[in-house]
Amino acid sequence: MVPPTFLRTIEDSGFSTWLRESESPFAFYFVLLFHTFGLALLVGANTVVDLRILGVARDIPLAPLKRLFRIMWLGFGINALTGVLLIIAYPTKALTNPVFYLKLTCIAFAIWIVTLLKDRVFDADLDEPAMMARGATLAKWSLLLWIGAITAGRLLAYTYRYLTYPC
Amino acid sequence: MNLAHLHLLLNHFPIIGTIVALGLFIASFIGKNDDLKRSSLIIFAAIALLTLPTFFSGIGAQRAIRRDPGVSTALIDRHEGAAMLAVFFMLITGALALIELWRRRRIATEKPWSGTLLAILLFSLLTAGLMARVGTTGGDIRHPEIWTVKDMTQETGLSAFVHIFEPTPSKFTDLMLVSKYWWAFMMDLHFIGLALLIGMVGILNLRVLGFEKRLTGASLHRLMPWAMAGFGINVLTGTLAFIGMPSYYAFDVAFWLKILAVMLLGLNAAVFYLTDAFQSVERLGPGEDAPRLAKLVAGSSLFLWFAVITLGRYIQSYADTIH
Repeated sequence: MVPPTFLRTIEDSGFSTWLRESESPFAFYFVLLFHTFGLALLVGANTVVDLRILGVARDIPLAPLKRLFRIMWLGFGINALTGVLLIIAYPTKALTNPVFYLKLTCIAFAIWIVTLLKDRVFDADLDEPAMMARGATLAKWSLLLWIGAITAGRLLAYTYRYLTYPC
Repeated sequence: MNLAHLHLLLNHFPIIGTIVALGLFIASFIGKNDDLKRSSLIIFAAIALLTLPTFFSGIGAQRAIRRDPGVSTALIDRHEGAAMLAVFFMLITGALALIELWRRRRIATEKPWSGTLLAILLFSLLTAGLMARVGTTGGDIRHPEIWTVKDMTQETGLSAFVHIFEPTPSKFTDLMLVSKYWWAFMMDLHFIGLALLIGMVGILNLRVLGFEKRLTGASLHRLMPWAMAGFGINVLTGTLAFIGMPSYYAFDVAFWLKILAVMLLGLNAAVFYLTDAFQSVERLGPGEDAPRLAKLVAGSSLFLWFAVITLGRYIQSYADTIH
């Protein structure tokens, strides 16, 4: 089966070619770098919240950790943007790999959990034991889904069928 | 200065450092001196960190002399295999030292002995022995005047016994490349470790810098074992990746700058824990502002960790930049 031709159209565009082939340190590797920064901010901040909800470092008051949601959204914003740029650079590589859709599914659920943690745990005016009780299942799923998303993302670098559109 | 020079400069630290720390460690039991014990544990951890660039620079030293007709490839391989084994024992010793340093701070223990202390004694003794062998086998490469027999690869007695446990460098490398899924798994762990480390270190540093002052310094510092777990995962997976593709990393300027940044982070941690900065962070209550030294350490930690990520990301793009 031949991949859909719109992938080739994207790939042939000047911007895609520049991202992929430019020797400039501000092309592909720069985008990849910011994708990693975004990962560190989003998953790092979320992990702090998840572990605390699950009982790690109980001395940390839970309510002030709400500030970390801003860092998570910043990380998510960076990664949504750089993620699109990475797809523009290698559309065939990403979109013909089933692992890519697995990664997006993991991210979608993980982000949904971020919103649930915010709305149901941090914005619900609960005391700490109630926050921990209500957040425990969400926190476990959050950690699992982020491990899934990172794993799928790493696999994308090694399991693709086409690097660029087959001629 | 080239990589061979760097290797010759660094290679004394793991050997002599381990022996010095081991001496202080044993003396601390005889003299019942807790400060001495703490010092020896700090040296073990510092030497474990310094062992990394020592090991990584070996490939450069090898490239510098491999075309020399007087140099035996078999002796280089023996030295490298000995180093691979010693490095892992050194890393375990360093990790145990950090665990004990953490434990001592949390629990005021009266007991002179614990399982961790016993493990440190065992592993540091083994490490010192293995490091001595790394030094001897390394010296044999360039110094025929110390050879005791004509063919130094023929080993007898204790050397022959230790040699059984030493990996053959090329086989270890092949093992790391045996499957792309094994490689993907190591890289996966490296990224998971990164997220864990940055999350835990980041929140503490940000608080010290003034982010969300309702959080206290002492409570956030409780996250450090999780940060160190992330760091441990990354040192292990990073070292294994290096063994998988040694010449890919060893001649890359971004890789060496990354290692330099990691060493500076070690220095930064030393400044934090050995000055007033640590006590001031431990006392940092709700709404309080951290003193300038603590902010300086927190700021450089954040900067250096993001530098580590940046340099790591550029390794592929700067491959083979050191000749």
